[in-house]
Amino acid sequence: MKRTVSLFLAIVLLASLACACQGPASDPGVQPTDGVPSGTGAGEAQPTPPEQAEPLEYVDLYKTYFTSEYPSLNYYTTVYGGVRGLAANCVEALVEPDEYGLYQPAMALSWESNEDCTVWTFHLREGVEWVDHQGNPTGMKVTAQDYVDAVRYVGDPLNGAYSLRVVRDLIEGLYDYYWGLDDIDSGTDTTTVRADLVASFDETVGVKALDEYTVQYTLSASAPYFLSLIEGSMLLLPCEYSYVTEMGEDFGIDNQHMLYCGAYYLSTFERDKKIVMTANPHYWDKDSVTIRSIEQQRLGDTMTTLEMFKRGEIDECVVESEEYSSLLGTEWEKYLAPNSFSSSTNYLWLDFGSDNPEFNAFIHNENFRKALQHSIDRESIAYLREPVTPSRLVRNTIIAETLIYDDRGVDYTDYPGLAEIKATDYYDAGKARAYMEAAVAELCDASGSILGVDAATVDMLPVAQFDVDGKLPVTLLYVGTDDEAEILMAQLLEVMIEEAIGADLIDVQLAFATGGFYSTVADPLNYDVYYDSLSVPYGDPGSQLSRLTSDGAENVGYYEVPEYDALIEQALMESDIQKRYALFAQAEAYLVNGAYVIPFISSLRGYYMTRIEPYTGPLMQFGSIKYKGMRVSAQILTADQLAAISSAYEEKKADRLSGN
Amino acid sequence: MLRYILNRTLRSILTVVIVFVTVFMLLRFMPLNGYFTDEMLKVSDEQTRMAYLRNQGLLDPPFSQLWRFVKNLFAGDLGRSLTVYPKVPITILLCEKIPVTAAFGAASLVLGMTLGLLMGMFMARYKERLGDTLGTFYVVFVRAVPSLIYLFFIQVWVSGVLKLPLVFYEDRPESWILPTICLSLGSIAWYAIWLRRFMVDEENRDYVKFAMVKGLSKKYVLRRHLFKNAIIPIAIYLPSDILFIISGSLIIESLYAIPGTGGLLTKAIQKQDNNLVQVIVLMYAILSVLGVFLGDLLVAFVDPRIRLTEDEG
Repeated sequence: MKRTVSLFLAIVLLASLACACQGPASDPGVQPTDGVPSGTGAGEAQPTPPEQAEPLEYVDLYKTYFTSEYPSLNYYTTVYGGVRGLAANCVEALVEPDEYGLYQPAMALSWESNEDCTVWTFHLREGVEWVDHQGNPTGMKVTAQDYVDAVRYVGDPLNGAYSLRVVRDLIEGLYDYYWGLDDIDSGTDTTTVRADLVASFDETVGVKALDEYTVQYTLSASAPYFLSLIEGSMLLLPCEYSYVTEMGEDFGIDNQHMLYCGAYYLSTFERDKKIVMTANPHYWDKDSVTIRSIEQQRLGDTMTTLEMFKRGEIDECVVESEEYSSLLGTEWEKYLAPNSFSSSTNYLWLDFGSDNPEFNAFIHNENFRKALQHSIDRESIAYLREPVTPSRLVRNTIIAETLIYDDRGVDYTDYPGLAEIKATDYYDAGKARAYMEAAVAELCDASGSILGVDAATVDMLPVAQFDVDGKLPVTLLYVGTDDEAEILMAQLLEVMIEEAIGADLIDVQLAFATGGFYSTVADPLNYDVYYDSLSVPYGDPGSQLSRLTSDGAENVGYYEVPEYDALIEQALMESDIQKRYALFAQAEAYLVNGAYVIPFISSLRGYYMTRIEPYTGPLMQFGSIKYKGMRVSAQILTADQLAAISSAYEEKKADRLSGN
Repeated sequence: MLRYILNRTLRSILTVVIVFVTVFMLLRFMPLNGYFTDEMLKVSDEQTRMAYLRNQGLLDPPFSQLWRFVKNLFAGDLGRSLTVYPKVPITILLCEKIPVTAAFGAASLVLGMTLGLLMGMFMARYKERLGDTLGTFYVVFVRAVPSLIYLFFIQVWVSGVLKLPLVFYEDRPESWILPTICLSLGSIAWYAIWLRRFMVDEENRDYVKFAMVKGLSKKYVLRRHLFKNAIIPIAIYLPSDILFIISGSLIIESLYAIPGTGGLLTKAIQKQDNNLVQVIVLMYAILSVLGVFLGDLLVAFVDPRIRLTEDEG
């Protein structure tokens, strides 16, 4: 009996493990991985770091990871950056940047614009076909009409295109078309027939197929940056309209419900698990595609990426500052390379309509804002993210440096006004105190009471509620998220502002919000000061600066600066690049010098280890990463190797941008 | 018995309907901004957002939305996800995710029950001796220590020692081992401690004393009498345990990158995906009442002393 029981239990245990080792009986989300080359997975053969080897040997498989979901693959409606990354590689845009950021032919063989950059005409290459998720040609050609139909698709409110504003407001007639349809859908307009308005698209909207392979965009304003908008916006990617219409709401729900015309197609899409991009054998430039297969593995978080990289399960990983110190003195130290650039800038936003009467009395005073501006030790904040050389994170301008160049190769941030701001070391406790004393002299009486301010209870619930007495020190509420790193930063800000300005003149209080920060804190103005970051969506300073005008979408603090608005309006109408940038630089300098917003560091963080040879693919500064042309080394690249590659690249880039 | 089943079925349906309608209506009182991420709020204006909501049918009166859902439900259409997996049919989502979670759940249930019941018997047999102390320590450890700590330790350290993958790969059988073990740690503790408790309780009953006086060995009494009676209070939960193998674990599925249902409801609530929330709530409500119902029937089946209706007695 005892033996029988033992045998039974052993069988149960084995059955349990065997059950665990079986896949689900039927999983419609799992797609075949036909055509995925086996590659020579670098990681499989390299559990330990190899020694530096010259020259580099390359493999044709790239293994990476993703942490956010790919909820849907519809690139017109998605809010997820990862999906935009897939689309950038799988659906061919009209143009693409080379490794220096200069635009080259992609689906368009050539292009031209009129003098004021309001009409752009693209001549497409012929004979390119859409392929399906197995890389088989569908017989449908990529034509000019596909680019027109993309605008037709996103212009219909029923399709729910994401981030439509820029394109909708730029393409002639699209704004009226969109809101005309919306009026019909909402019942506001009961006289127009929807089908009639839809049929009028070709006549009323400024995008036309002049012939089978020529597409023309007519814009409502001068747009010398239009090529970078093509890079940055998914809404200008083509679609095969008959296919999309046939798919209806199913378009892009998985890899089988979309078509491909880019360097890769999605051969495998296991939702929330694994994505495989395979080189498209029918791609017009297939010889430039060096990585044959890109495998993306879903991870629940980034806690295990370092370990996975060490075990060769992925080819690149980010190393956070706390992980960085754990690798010093180990065999991995020589592979630690600093991340070099982020186009995203961190700002301090100030609430110009605060419910806190003390802060509200002071925020409209330029001396007070400058006191804040000079009280922030940017390097100390940067140290939280980059303990080795924090100074490289410091950024005083709104638009990132080395991002936007004029036609002479001059960096936009080197234009007069901004160059001085870029070179300024704002942290100066003496100046901060002096500015604050000047503000106090203007806004308080001799006893330290703030003029026109009485004691009150400030209600900024659900974020904070506190009492103010209408006297010095001025109470300032800084609101952050409950993220551990942000809490540290907030505490640091509190100490440095109070020390620089003086706790007798300012009292910084902290509050931390959970959940949707924008809807809880920013939008209902439940703050005096908070920090946020913004990126430049396309290659024009106006892409960011025009959103910061008095009525701009990003002006969450509701300041009013008519001088700035006028300069931006002037710049937006200017088609000459140098004059345009000079006006933008003047406007930006005005905003920063007046401390209406306080940029302080870039969003750059941490180090990384990689097998990817940098600068081998298109330099996508406004769009998502493109793998075409990228090379994956069989060995991990050392920091020295990466630095040498970077140095040689920067020299070449400078030459290319200056036209040499 | 038949009358009991009929009566109970009707009450179960009523419970499900009340739960579902309540949740459905509460979802319609959520703020409209909840349908958008911070990123979406930043890049869109109020008008565009309202156009989106109207086109999704979210501005229709709640009862008209409820009627639409019920109508589609009976036509076999569960609707499409709104925000978590925009536009993806919920049927497809569930068909993709449930089999993965169920496979892990079934394996861990078998493993957890087997080891848990064995451990419980062992602890009861050697009450207040070393085996019992070690078992109690295990139970207290699993219950008291935040699971993320030891789960992360198992993932990184144990996987390194045993040369097992860090995450789950469907095509690598060895990658199923650690997640299955991790999933069963809690249920091993649960089954062990409850079986021990009920067996120790039973030990003091007269029939046990009588059996011992008759000269039966402790091992025989334990196996033939004590275990049979002690398992009854535990058996009532078995149907629920089996049905809820599809619910998954948020932490373990996240750690091992398992594309299952763990955390799906949480995510749907956070992102205010009404369509997904209402389907999952409906599903879990049905499973819950069914689990309790089947539990009662099972207990009546395994213990002839229990009668479900008065006239049966």
